[in-house]
Amino acid sequence: MTTYDAGEFTLEKVREYVWELPQEGEMRVPARVLASEALLDEISDDLSLQQLKNTSHLPGIQKYAIAMPDAHQGYGFPVGGVAGIDAEDGVISPGAVGYDINCGVRMLKTDLEYSDIQGREEELVDALFEAIPAGLGGGGVVQTDVETLEDVLERGVDWALEEGYAVEDDLAHCEDEGVRPGADAAAVSKKAKDRGRQQLGSLGSGNHFLEVQRVTDVYRDDVAESFGLEEDQIVVLIHCGSRGLGHQVCTDYLREIEQTHQGLLNELPDKELAAAPAGSHLAEEYYAAMNAAINFAWVNRQLIMHRTREVFADVFDRDWRDMEMDLLYDVAHNIAKKEAHDIDGEDRELFVHRKGATRAFPAGHPEVPAAYRDVGQPIIIPGSMGAGSYILRGGEHSMEETFGSTAHGAGRLMSRTEAKDIYWGEDVQDDLQDHQQIYVRAESGATVAEEAPGVYKDVDEVVRVSDALGIGDRVARTFPVCNIKG
Amino acid sequence: MSFELRDHTADVAVEATGETLGGVFAATADGMAGAMCETVPTTGDRFECAVTAERRDALLFDYLDELIYQRDVRGVLPVDNRATVEKSGDDWSVDASARGVPLETISAREIKAVTYSEMVLETTEDGWHVYVVLDV
Repeated sequence: MTTYDAGEFTLEKVREYVWELPQEGEMRVPARVLASEALLDEISDDLSLQQLKNTSHLPGIQKYAIAMPDAHQGYGFPVGGVAGIDAEDGVISPGAVGYDINCGVRMLKTDLEYSDIQGREEELVDALFEAIPAGLGGGGVVQTDVETLEDVLERGVDWALEEGYAVEDDLAHCEDEGVRPGADAAAVSKKAKDRGRQQLGSLGSGNHFLEVQRVTDVYRDDVAESFGLEEDQIVVLIHCGSRGLGHQVCTDYLREIEQTHQGLLNELPDKELAAAPAGSHLAEEYYAAMNAAINFAWVNRQLIMHRTREVFADVFDRDWRDMEMDLLYDVAHNIAKKEAHDIDGEDRELFVHRKGATRAFPAGHPEVPAAYRDVGQPIIIPGSMGAGSYILRGGEHSMEETFGSTAHGAGRLMSRTEAKDIYWGEDVQDDLQDHQQIYVRAESGATVAEEAPGVYKDVDEVVRVSDALGIGDRVARTFPVCNIKG
Repeated sequence: MSFELRDHTADVAVEATGETLGGVFAATADGMAGAMCETVPTTGDRFECAVTAERRDALLFDYLDELIYQRDVRGVLPVDNRATVEKSGDDWSVDASARGVPLETISAREIKAVTYSEMVLETTEDGWHVYVVLDV
């Protein structure tokens, strides 16, 4: 048997790109890492494997605790982690969703080609940077009162539609049609609402960004055609989440669960994995609050997309509808959802926790929007600001291998503190502009340094492994033209 | 009391020391501010906050969470932190203050949340030592 020695852990090779940490001790299931050896070298370089092993201790976890090809150390649960946990006898864990509930990505298409933008990049990037709130304390596209915010939390993009920030077609091209059922604004604390009210329609900072991109490669012509993508086309990628509202929801419930379910917590190896038993009051309340935060995040990205359409209309002096600025799809990559999955030949309802992982349902799955049901759901995997991003489709093996999931990005390689020692924000910006014709504007030069292309893993390798495993198939690749960040 | 920012793959960690529990809490809060902004002006009015929790480490978690909340609702970066920690009955409490530097006057990045991951709060020969990972 081929093994991989990762210090205190020895992984057994199940088959190409599938590595298993056998069940031992308090582990309830084995752990699996889906990676090439090159990616495994990076994954085993921090606490990712220990955190993945810890995750396998969660009561009710099914099949395996799984690390995606882009996995890296998080807090409690690794980023790039997936766990399917029984929704009747198991638990739900806020830390296994993450603080930024429904952090995710959406892609907006246009009918523009790269040549339409060349020479106007600075004008476009400046206009986007001016129009779209970013960074710390940058406000939001709209300021809301409590009543409006509660409407957003319970109605999601339906609220945006009614207020003129969306069109019907946007809902048809969003996971859950932009409205997460089971959301309860009353389950969201006043603290969370106070933070969210001032931030609705804002990018935030860290690894969040808005990027104008050009399609450089198409790998599957038929699927790309269904997605409305072709080479040289201009698209816009928006990456952000539920802002302070979602962060506070996670914090609030982590503490409440810690205090209420101390006995369960004492059985777990990391306090950050605090979990509420399925069916308990706190499990129900957290699920309702998380769903509300999911709706908030969808509206957040919708408002940014609305502003983006307005900016393009101003810069190119055409109505955005004439430029066919339609939403390709919106995917969440920090989320827990009740989903039906096949466990030993039986349909079971699970809380599928995806933290830094993207849902990747294949063709034919009833939860894939009608527009894409014949080809599989679109998956958007952003790279760094100096590398490509990818559009994939749900692969035919995703349901059996990963509870219908794949990677969510390149995955970090270098710490933020080390990045700031090595890179200087202005130098990174100049280098990207001079050598790759990528125009970057940021509220903070330190953010540019922390997010320099060199701090990320090779996104090409992450996507290659996803494609080879058949969990998410490559459809197209894009490359940055303009990037704004906090 | 002092702090250092420590490497973490995706996030950032603060390691702090202090002669007293209040001192190490304040140093950790200063570290959190340092993770958001390198250079801050001397402007801004002081504000106060108080937090109670069931354990010392839970109190540190809730104190840093409260500062993040105050940052967002006041629109200020809490710097020059001062804190006094006491045990009262079964609970622990912190009385704290900070100078709130208006966010529009600085270039700062966001810390999303405080985490329990790898958290250390322990006594040393010289006082107290803290290690805390913050979500970026």
